[in-house]
Amino acid sequence: MTSLNLNIEEGSIVVLIGPSGCGKTTTLRMINRLIEPTSGRIEINGKDVTQRPVAELRREIGYVIQQVGLFPHQTIAGNIATVPKMLGWGKQRVSDRIDELADLVGLEPSLLDRYPDELSGGQQQRVGVARALAADPPVLLMDEPFGAVDPIVRTRLQDELLELQARVGKTIVLVTHDIDEALKVADRIALLNVGGILEQYSPADELLAEPANQFVEEFVGEDRSVKRLQLRTVADIPFHRGPVVAATDGVAAARSIMREYSSEWVGVTSENVFLGWVHVEDLQDGVPLESAPRSVPAAQVQPGSTLRNAMQIIMTSHTSAAVIDNEGLFGGVVTLELIRASLEAETGS
Amino acid sequence: MIPLFGQAPNPIVRWEYFIDEWDQIQRALIEHLELTVYAVTLGLVVSAGLSAIALRFRRTAAPINGVTAFLYTIPSVALFGILVPYFGLSRLSAVLPLAAYTLLILVTNIVAGFNSVSPEVREAADGMGMTPARRILHVELPLAMPYIVAGLRIAVVSTVGLVTVAAIIGQGGLGRLILDGLRRAFWTPMTIGAALSILLALALDGLILGAGKWLTPWAQRGRSAL
Amino acid sequence: MTLLGQAPVPRDIGVFEWLLDPNSWTGPDGILVSLANTVILCAVVVVVAIVTMVPLASWLAHTRRGEVSVSWTVTLSRAIPTFAVAGLLVPISLRSGWGFEPWPIFIALLLLALPPIFLNTYTAIQQVDPGVVDASRAMGYSETSVLVRVELALATSVMLAGVRVAAVTVVATEPIRAFLGGDGLGRYVRDGLGQNNDALVIAGAMLIAGLAGLTALSFRLIERFALPDGVRRLATTTTR
Repeated sequence: MTSLNLNIEEGSIVVLIGPSGCGKTTTLRMINRLIEPTSGRIEINGKDVTQRPVAELRREIGYVIQQVGLFPHQTIAGNIATVPKMLGWGKQRVSDRIDELADLVGLEPSLLDRYPDELSGGQQQRVGVARALAADPPVLLMDEPFGAVDPIVRTRLQDELLELQARVGKTIVLVTHDIDEALKVADRIALLNVGGILEQYSPADELLAEPANQFVEEFVGEDRSVKRLQLRTVADIPFHRGPVVAATDGVAAARSIMREYSSEWVGVTSENVFLGWVHVEDLQDGVPLESAPRSVPAAQVQPGSTLRNAMQIIMTSHTSAAVIDNEGLFGGVVTLELIRASLEAETGS
Repeated sequence: MIPLFGQAPNPIVRWEYFIDEWDQIQRALIEHLELTVYAVTLGLVVSAGLSAIALRFRRTAAPINGVTAFLYTIPSVALFGILVPYFGLSRLSAVLPLAAYTLLILVTNIVAGFNSVSPEVREAADGMGMTPARRILHVELPLAMPYIVAGLRIAVVSTVGLVTVAAIIGQGGLGRLILDGLRRAFWTPMTIGAALSILLALALDGLILGAGKWLTPWAQRGRSAL
Repeated sequence: MTLLGQAPVPRDIGVFEWLLDPNSWTGPDGILVSLANTVILCAVVVVVAIVTMVPLASWLAHTRRGEVSVSWTVTLSRAIPTFAVAGLLVPISLRSGWGFEPWPIFIALLLLALPPIFLNTYTAIQQVDPGVVDASRAMGYSETSVLVRVELALATSVMLAGVRVAAVTVVATEPIRAFLGGDGLGRYVRDGLGQNNDALVIAGAMLIAGLAGLTALSFRLIERFALPDGVRRLATTTTR
């Protein structure tokens, strides 16, 4: 590997990603000295890792690998208790910590007395994370931790990792080959090229919006703009009221607002609950708005939906605009224009 | 027909013999047990050492296997016989060959046991900060246990059988009863010696099997391949 | 019984002199006669074992039965102390008027030979690729033909390994016969121990070991040269 310079902020998730041979796993394993660096320094909190007895160092770093490596001859509780026991914790403290961790990673307490081979892949991974966090290490290393489970479980585990991080705020270095996973969980992504060359080190949105060179561009994929849409939610953009009227406003008001927005559709609300979209041709003078035939189901999204989701809904509905439901109440309208505009805005969060 | 009990002139088993000579029988049994234990213990110690070398230096695995296999093929009568001119009709002449015969199965099984530990388990153990010694003792050894116990069972049972052969050099425990009976044309000791050695083998086999199960609770839920 | 024996000076000169003396070989007490006795008994044991076990194991494996019998065989074969069994059989044999020899030792050795041949034959046939068996059935072979021409042919090398193990084990254990009132190569160790003749003991031991080694070598050579290459490449020994 060529030399690598990386500064990882405390309490952040940094993802190492790149093609085979880029040295991402090697880099990770140099941190806890499973591979000894031939030159250069690796420091944790300012202390050189090579200056400490290696076993001692590793007890302060959590390590999670793809196949988990749970000890088959010990119960789940026994597995989790490994490092605390090595550090000499008392029985009660260990027991309390196990309960705490089970709750933290979403493990049912009844599983604690089982053996690893009785658990599903997803459960085993959770145990792996619990085991790594048992002694409350400041740093957590993860090597393709979710690679061995099916996509549905993987998504859940990724979500749970983010929730976990919100609670404990560890410094996490994660290696993956899945760019979507990286984009989803990382605070910053380090994209490595073959030979250990660092091509770019930046937050996800910046990586997508401003790739440093052609390699990065190709790596993140042609659809990087669409990928960016996954990084933001509806709540992030300034949606507006749009061509929507209350039922009580009447047909004339509806026509007028449709002209204003050049829209063929008008949204109708009743007591601030969104009823649906009505096409201009279905408007009849003298017929109350709430009786007009509406497009069902109404295209709608929530503030927490990703922009990509919103775009998807807009594309598939006739209305070509989405309405936002804010705990059941109407909040505004999102259009393709708005979505596109958001991409041109300042990058990053 | 074959009279199995008492009064006929030379039955298979004369039960009075059993009761009268109980002392002798007991001594033979104890001697048999002692020889078995000495031999298997010595074999285990040497095998542990050889296994450690074979596991640490992969290239030595084949030669070590070759040597232990070679020793195993030497016929027992020959091996006991060859030692007599050097060590006399002593316990050593019996224990050395007996231990040598256990090497093949013990080394094979100990090595197989440690090799059965998944690499990711080892990596996880190292990554968590276990020193190599701790990892071997607390992780690899327990996981190798099923293989080691299986090997011990075979070693003990076959040693019990071979101890009877050692009677030819005067060290046979229950085998002495057999030879004795043969010489005196007295069948009872033969039958008793033979029957007891079979029973002893089965008993020790069961004992080790039980101990093995007790030591490996995690392997007991219908998954053991051994 | 001393704990450590007498002066460790082997009378090698005695050993080789004796072995090279033609008189030792000929005559009713000669090595050739004892050798013949040993070889004949062992050969008969192995042949009987093959003739009984191969058909049985083949049939069980072919019809996919007898899984239980396999584990039984393994357990039993390990727990049988041959010397004890032979010893047990002597009085019975005598009482039934069959004499010292050859039944007790024959049966005891047979019990030694049965498991490796049974196990190897069973596993070898069991592991024949079912695809091949199906194909041959589909091509119109009768069940017996499938068994004989296809399964057995493919299983030969493993089976031969089993026969080798059986043969070597039997040859290696046969010497105890001399201590149960019989003849065979073991007699020299027996006589040497009785006469306190170290040279005879060593010579006898060498003869026994030599025959065992020769047997092993012969079978390995047979396995290597007598089997068609394609079959030989499938060899994986199940028992040692």
